[in-house]
Amino acid sequence: MSKRTTFYVVSSAILLIGLLNILFRGLQFGIDFKGGTEVAIQFEKPIDIAKIRNEIDKIGLGNVEVKTFGGSTGILLRTELQELPSNVIPKVKSRIETIIANTLPGVNKKIIDSTQNSITYNFPDNQSAEIINNKLFEAGFQTVKVSEEQSNTAIIVRLGISDWIKENLAEKFKDNPFNVLKEDKVGPKVGKELKTDAVIAVMLSLIVILIYLGFRFKFTFALGAVIALFHDILITLGLFAVLYGVIPGLNLEITVSVVAAFLTLVGYSINDTVIVFDRVREQMKLHKSLSLEENMNRAINKTMSRTLITGFTTILTIIILLIFGGEVLRGFAFALFIGMITGTYSSIFVASAFVLEVANRTNRKIEF
Amino acid sequence: MKEIRFRLLLVLGFIALSVYLLIPTYKDYRNNQIVTKQLSTLEDSLKKSNPDLSAIQIKEFINNKRDSILSNNPDYRAAREKRVKLGLDLQGGMYLVMEVNTAKLLEKLAKDPDDQFNEILKEAEAESKISDENVVSILARKMSEKGIRLSRYFGSIREDDDKIISRLLEQEADAVTRAIEIIRNRVDQYGVSEPNIQKQGSRRIVIELPGIAREEEAKRLLQGRALLEFRLVKDADIAIPIMKRIDEVLAASLRGDTISLDTTKTAKADTAKQQNLTEEQFAKEHPFFAIARLIDPQGRIPDAFVKETDRQKLNAYLERPEVKKVIPDNIEFLYDARPEKGPDGANYYRLYILNKNPELTGGVIVDAQSNIDPTTSAPIVTMQMNSEGAREWARITGSNIGKRCAIVLDGVVYSAPVIQNKIPSGNSQISGIPNLDEAKLLEIVLKAGALPAPVDIIEQRSVGPSLGQDSIKQGSNSVLFGYLLVALFMAFYYKKAGTIADLGLIVTVLLILGVLAGFQATLTLPGIAGIVLTMGMAVDANVIIYERIREELATGKTDRAAVDAGFKHSFSAIFDSNITTFFTGIILYQFGSGPVQGFALTLMIGIITSLFSALVLVRMIFDYMLSKGYKINVG
Repeated sequence: MSKRTTFYVVSSAILLIGLLNILFRGLQFGIDFKGGTEVAIQFEKPIDIAKIRNEIDKIGLGNVEVKTFGGSTGILLRTELQELPSNVIPKVKSRIETIIANTLPGVNKKIIDSTQNSITYNFPDNQSAEIINNKLFEAGFQTVKVSEEQSNTAIIVRLGISDWIKENLAEKFKDNPFNVLKEDKVGPKVGKELKTDAVIAVMLSLIVILIYLGFRFKFTFALGAVIALFHDILITLGLFAVLYGVIPGLNLEITVSVVAAFLTLVGYSINDTVIVFDRVREQMKLHKSLSLEENMNRAINKTMSRTLITGFTTILTIIILLIFGGEVLRGFAFALFIGMITGTYSSIFVASAFVLEVANRTNRKIEF
Repeated sequence: MKEIRFRLLLVLGFIALSVYLLIPTYKDYRNNQIVTKQLSTLEDSLKKSNPDLSAIQIKEFINNKRDSILSNNPDYRAAREKRVKLGLDLQGGMYLVMEVNTAKLLEKLAKDPDDQFNEILKEAEAESKISDENVVSILARKMSEKGIRLSRYFGSIREDDDKIISRLLEQEADAVTRAIEIIRNRVDQYGVSEPNIQKQGSRRIVIELPGIAREEEAKRLLQGRALLEFRLVKDADIAIPIMKRIDEVLAASLRGDTISLDTTKTAKADTAKQQNLTEEQFAKEHPFFAIARLIDPQGRIPDAFVKETDRQKLNAYLERPEVKKVIPDNIEFLYDARPEKGPDGANYYRLYILNKNPELTGGVIVDAQSNIDPTTSAPIVTMQMNSEGAREWARITGSNIGKRCAIVLDGVVYSAPVIQNKIPSGNSQISGIPNLDEAKLLEIVLKAGALPAPVDIIEQRSVGPSLGQDSIKQGSNSVLFGYLLVALFMAFYYKKAGTIADLGLIVTVLLILGVLAGFQATLTLPGIAGIVLTMGMAVDANVIIYERIREELATGKTDRAAVDAGFKHSFSAIFDSNITTFFTGIILYQFGSGPVQGFALTLMIGIITSLFSALVLVRMIFDYMLSKGYKINVG
């Protein structure tokens, strides 16, 4: 406890770096929160990401992010667009017609319906509609027959961002076929709602913890625990901002699962703090004559090994998740990783120190 | 032994229950392996025999085949229904959030909309895209800002704005219910296994479709308009001969088939023959009527009942080229929308033979209302048609008195009442509905055909099956390695006591999976992460207890006293810390969607089961060891 000023400096320094980064570089939100389109593609053979980036730049969608996804054969493409821009549509259309012309030269086709999102073609007979339907689908377009009946002669082709990207890549990398691993499209409203929900969820859990601990301990302790939680969340958030783009292969965007990690952190980090507080309470009952500071010191020292071991076993499993959990869980696992370390640290050095500070400043004796 | 007997029974009971609940999951896993093996040989032979088939066609065929094998074999299906459900992120598929387009709905509801109205509506729509406010309330606000009363476009002149608003909101809610009904109906027909359709908030619909390959087809299926048709049912004197002909053709071709292709089946049939000769014989002689059982054996009513599990088989029969040849071009077989319970408790669907061409389509319906008939007090549905529809309807009903006219929505028959007399006004009613709930449903369906509020896709996520497979592999690897690391550490650090904790950990994971299977909860990738994380956290309680026991031993207490004190003093800390984590789990469950909910769920289940392991199982083993005089060793 006597060295607590050192830790104040350490904590504030890390916090400050993080907060400055959030302020100036900003947090990177995933498309969950921003809205947009995201496609993950897995090629059969290793690919050169620079080459793909180059090809993607040419297709006229403006700013499309290209990143590796799970090893050397996967890429993740992302844009904030949700619909094809109108200047690209004619290009897409002419490509579709080239494919049709190449498949069945001279086939008599007619556009019977055309919207921002799709074109409906009509063909003279069922057979050609079927062939072209399959061909376009293979080329990367989402196509569908207007009906499943034998008499059907029309097919609908979707004009989606992901389809356009897929079609272009299929064209350019003919010798290296790919699979679409996942495809997400999130509207702007959903994203905005999720953001509010996430903030509400984190705040709500802090309040619930404050109330519960307020009942079980003195209110100052509850406050100390929640301050420690704030400390953990802000540091983790700050490190997200600091480390974004610094570690290659690690996707540090704020997504829904990262928020889930934060909430888990809130729940877990309080565990260690509660254990220390529980011991402080026990000490204070046993040694009424000792000062609060002395009691806290003893409690912290006595619980030190278990605080470290519980933190350690949890971090073990998180490291496993980081290594084996795959691309999808990486951001989630990383948030927990940083959070667990700060959480363990804060329950030893921050939470009790805050309570002591309050007790010293107000000169009130805290007892149970 | 005596003092732990009750706890032992409890622990063994829970373990046995978990294992029992997990058996179907294991069976399903085995079944899938078997089917995949079968299909891969089929795929090879298909590629050889039909080299001109495209890769997509083969894939589609194989997928259909897989679905039909898995859903037709009752053993496979039973296991599938009871296994631990996998989230879309693990088995691949599509997740969609759709929103009912209220603006379009309002445009339809408005009477005499003018330019001014359209302009305001457009503004309201644009605003609603970026705010949480409902289109109805934005529209109302904008109207009042401009000094226009809502009654100018909606409702009657005497009504207050508030009243109109609440009615419009009600109509909006109604449109959502209808949209869900249509979507569910279509998804069922499309044959997606284990679809999930839910209402979210006031006007959103969340749809999960596992294993969809062609997104566009699925989306079209969901967004397209509902097609309502009125079609005449074929009379017995036309329908019965057709059915007989199908039966004959089928019997002839099947006789050829079974001998040449499927020797195992006939061998099985032979043994079964001993017990139930006549039925076997009948099924062989009359394969069609064995599945489609005529309602009236005399053949006065040409409807048949088809067992739910036989539908796929019958459809396959009807798709055979030799059978197709004998079905006239202008007729079609359609099923009833809802099954009836047979005497054997199974679900039976009524099969109708109808005209292929509809007499009238649903575009003419203006309104529908479910009611109680005042004279017979039976539920009825009345519907109103527009003038054009009324004229047509009068002609149709006039020339078909005594015949049945089926109401078909999206290819499914909802009811097939007999036309009693000519209906001139376009107002007609459907009777013969078993209860008011059914009538209400029919009302929804009829209105759905006439007035579908368009639905927009506002969120779409799809996961390819290969990513799902990868995720399962990565997930189970993480669980395994996570366990090994934690277990090794515990055994190393706490020696014998640590090994006991490791045992508790296995029980914890088993119980989590058991609970997931028992409650039919869905396991997602974050859910697996939750299990991995639980393993790290589950030993926390053990660590707290063991450290305390060490301390107590250090003060010179006996083993028994130290164990007792260790458990006693740790309890409040364990309880407080876990309950706070549990609270955040609840909040996470409330806030999160899909995969995140799966995580929250496993986390909460993990807390409870790990506490059970630490406080009951481990304590019990300690007590047993103490009573036997073994040394407790906490490192």
